[in-house]
Amino acid sequence: MDRLKLTLLWLIVGLPLAWGVAKTVQNAIKLF
Amino acid sequence: MSATAPVGSAGRSMARPGLWDRDRTVAPRDYNRFLVPPAALAVHLSIGQAYAFSTFNLPLTKLLGITESAPADWSLKQVGWTFSIAIFFLGLSAALFGRWVESAGPRKAMSVAACCFGGGFLVSALGIRLHEIDLLYLGYGVLGGCGLGIGYISPVSTLIKWFPDRPGMATGMAIMGFGGGALIAAPLSIFLMDQFKTAESNGVFESFIAMGVIYFVFMMFGAAIVRVPPGDWKPIGWTPSVTPKKLVTSANVHVDVAWKTRQFWLLWGVLCMNVTAGIGVLSQASPMIQEMFPDRVTAAAAASFVGLLSLFNMGGRFVWASASDYLGRKNTYFVFFVLGILLYALVPSIGQAGSRGLFVLAFGVILSMYGGGFATIPAYLRDIFGTMHVGAIHGRLLTAWAAAGVLGPVLVSYIRDFQIHHGVPKAQAYSVTMYIMCGLLFIGLLCNLGVRAVAPELHHRAPET
Repeated sequence: MDRLKLTLLWLIVGLPLAWGVAKTVQNAIKLF
Repeated sequence: MSATAPVGSAGRSMARPGLWDRDRTVAPRDYNRFLVPPAALAVHLSIGQAYAFSTFNLPLTKLLGITESAPADWSLKQVGWTFSIAIFFLGLSAALFGRWVESAGPRKAMSVAACCFGGGFLVSALGIRLHEIDLLYLGYGVLGGCGLGIGYISPVSTLIKWFPDRPGMATGMAIMGFGGGALIAAPLSIFLMDQFKTAESNGVFESFIAMGVIYFVFMMFGAAIVRVPPGDWKPIGWTPSVTPKKLVTSANVHVDVAWKTRQFWLLWGVLCMNVTAGIGVLSQASPMIQEMFPDRVTAAAAASFVGLLSLFNMGGRFVWASASDYLGRKNTYFVFFVLGILLYALVPSIGQAGSRGLFVLAFGVILSMYGGGFATIPAYLRDIFGTMHVGAIHGRLLTAWAAAGVLGPVLVSYIRDFQIHHGVPKAQAYSVTMYIMCGLLFIGLLCNLGVRAVAPELHHRAPET
């Protein structure tokens, strides 16, 4: 139960961050 | 108090504490401490939106004209003040409300921050609808700025208490979110404006409302899940080091004493110089790369460069702050300043050599140290002043950020304009700026070298309050 809660909480904050990082990297490729 | 509530021997109510009371957030002894950082990240990822406010700058100048600025539209200069006011109120509120944040506990503080930050967007949306710029300043600048300040400091001391064995990593995790917030907010703002755009509106008003609601909900999620450790809690298997380290105290210094010490002002100088050097570059990154590599870097590529710097800024927060647990706080700042001086001194040569890759790498490392400086400072404060009032002391130290926020961009743009006005080619106009940044970092280096342990007579004697 604790492990599920841990995974869920980290996913809730991690997914938007991963989306933002992916978008930034995608744009950064244009630089080279 | 309920008439039926049981009353303890000291006459205090034994009723269950309210939902927002600090006592209600005290975790059981066997609580998994890794459940707490998501609460800090939820708040910092939200308020980190501030770094991406510039995404709204141009659309805010086209509220009446929609596709082009109309004569009655706000100017870019007018809109630009919004961010400056927000950063000013970030520093002010962190300094003023730091002690309250410590006593009220993280849940109440995060909830207030959510109301201020989310509410700030809504008041600003009203200002956009009525086309009253004062409401934009009041909403995002004043109210939102207070949300930034209270939200910034509230989870930091909580995480320090959960991770006494790795305070650098703990503060790095929280403050990394502030850097990451911009990476989310920039594409989110563009996406929302695209969704809400119509023939009568450029979508900014609706986007502000949506963002106000989204950030309020996300920050309240953080407030709901945050927990503080029981008073004498320690991680299982961890015992504080028995060999005392010169710059790591096991005592506490009261915030009212701490801010009058030499150490506080030296650390203020350390943060101010480190931030001034980084923020100056960050604010001018796009025109700088275009002017140093004319005809080789387009405006779109320059925007990508800014995004890449944000990535280094975010990563540096976690990596450097975590490394400081092993290197020591003073040594970490020593690396920031010495490496920073070397890199700034090399930038003009890299520009003349025309090496774009090296240029991006140099500024990436510089920005990682800018972020690292923010994330390592709370752990440095904890080492010097103890954990008791670290949040409140951190709040007062953040005035250095507000000062640097004005000093850095003004210095870089003023020197650039002065150089160009005196006939220096644009590609070389930044050389003097880079050498001045070296000078600022040298002042920071001296401040850091001057940091010593606080004298024992200044330690707090009474129980923690």
